[in-house]
Amino acid sequence: MRLTDLAHQSGEWLRGVGADSDIVISTRIRLARNVAGYPFVARLKPADQADLSQRLCESIVDDAVVPECHYFDLKVASDIERRLLVERHLISKEHEEAQGDRGVAIRLNEAVSIMVNEEDHLRIQVLHSGFELAETWRATNEVDTGLARRVPYAFSERLGYLTACPTNVGTGMRASVMLHLPALELAKQIEKVFHAVAKINLIVRGLYGEGTQASGNLYQISNQISLGKTEEEILQEIQGIIPEIVENERRARHFLLERNRQQIEDRVWRAYGMLCHARIISSGETIALLSHLRLGVHLGILSELDIAAVNQLFVRTLPAHLQVLEGRELDPQVRDVARAAYIRKCLAQGRHTGDQ
Amino acid sequence: MSQIACQCGKKLATIHVTEIINGEKKEIHLCEDCAKKKQLILPASSSLLNLGELLSGLAQAAGESENDELARTVCPNCGMTFADFRSSGRFGCPNDYEAFRRGVDPLLERIHGTTEHRGRRPAAPAGAPQDSRLAQLRSELRKAVADEAYERAARIRDQIYALKKGRANATD
Repeated sequence: MRLTDLAHQSGEWLRGVGADSDIVISTRIRLARNVAGYPFVARLKPADQADLSQRLCESIVDDAVVPECHYFDLKVASDIERRLLVERHLISKEHEEAQGDRGVAIRLNEAVSIMVNEEDHLRIQVLHSGFELAETWRATNEVDTGLARRVPYAFSERLGYLTACPTNVGTGMRASVMLHLPALELAKQIEKVFHAVAKINLIVRGLYGEGTQASGNLYQISNQISLGKTEEEILQEIQGIIPEIVENERRARHFLLERNRQQIEDRVWRAYGMLCHARIISSGETIALLSHLRLGVHLGILSELDIAAVNQLFVRTLPAHLQVLEGRELDPQVRDVARAAYIRKCLAQGRHTGDQ
Repeated sequence: MSQIACQCGKKLATIHVTEIINGEKKEIHLCEDCAKKKQLILPASSSLLNLGELLSGLAQAAGESENDELARTVCPNCGMTFADFRSSGRFGCPNDYEAFRRGVDPLLERIHGTTEHRGRRPAAPAGAPQDSRLAQLRSELRKAVADEAYERAARIRDQIYALKKGRANATD
């Protein structure tokens, strides 16, 4: 399997299934783990880092730990390939931009990805479509347990799993739920969500993680505290607040439909019209319009469109995906033209004929 | 969202801010560059929980001489000093948590509100005899008692008990 093959397949979290998937895009849990007896990655000697990458790759790529798993060496991957992984949420921006010996192990269906030698020796991530904390945690735990049997983790009875950054120590866990909240944003109620979330020590971030801005009305809610609570307690806090936000978004959607049906329909159909006919389009504008399209599908305004096809477009119109799908490198201006053409083609086919 | 130009007149506004000051509502439309200048959005590298600020806050909180002494503390395992950690915000090796404990514990208190892990522990390595696990737990128990960390000690005691019980059942 080649890295670029990923661009042609539908990632697990893009399937648009699972609980509350009209509002919750995906559930993700990551665990930070380090191997006992080695310094953290920033202090590893190049030769040791190469050895450790090799050793971890061998431990991970085994059907008993992660079935159907491929390891990609990021030191030899091209810029576009690494960017592609970021766009698919399989590696972090930091991992993309780093220099040393490092890699990522990916389960074929993309539900599991394990970054090797990022900030920590291991970053185990499990990503599922919809609001599926319990199942995601079960799967994460399974990978973690499998790895712990082969790799001695740096662990202290007092502080838990020891991590390069003190903000991750303890459980090493960050659980995130990605939400699509267009109605709350239209109704200018999104600030209220942020306040409610901040009160219980959770944080809200944009689509691509820490410090990024929200685009396409997509927000990630995750825990900030990793020490002093059990994994179950941390998950419980997130489990508790998400239904409230989902309920508020649903109410805002109904309210908009009841009070402003024409405006909402107009907005959705305009977005659809633009995407079906534009000749030049940036990725920023695309995401904003796709957000309206997605809302339109879930409100039954655009019933002819398949939601998985719309979800796919969120990712496939990003720069690296577009270039891989086109099979060549493209300058930004050329890219905007190619993007518009690609969207037109997909929407023409996407009337209930999305992938699979 | 309809397209509005930024105040600078050069770019399209992507950030829309509604300010309410003394009951007066004002909408501001900015492009990403202008929003960054006004510090409305964070640069990509900064974390929401600003570790750098916490670290410099700690440095100021400690007295001058005490601070110097702490800053010079070296981890015998990786050679990092506490001053190195304070400037980078990242540890050199797992042992740093103990080597710099005097400086790190207050930091963990501020970040997490505690210095006691209550979550999972790693699964035993494949084929590891339980005796070594028991020995490890016993030494951890001794350490916990020496630390006067009685909650932790009680937890370890329960684990030892559970392990012994499990083994007794297995040999029945």
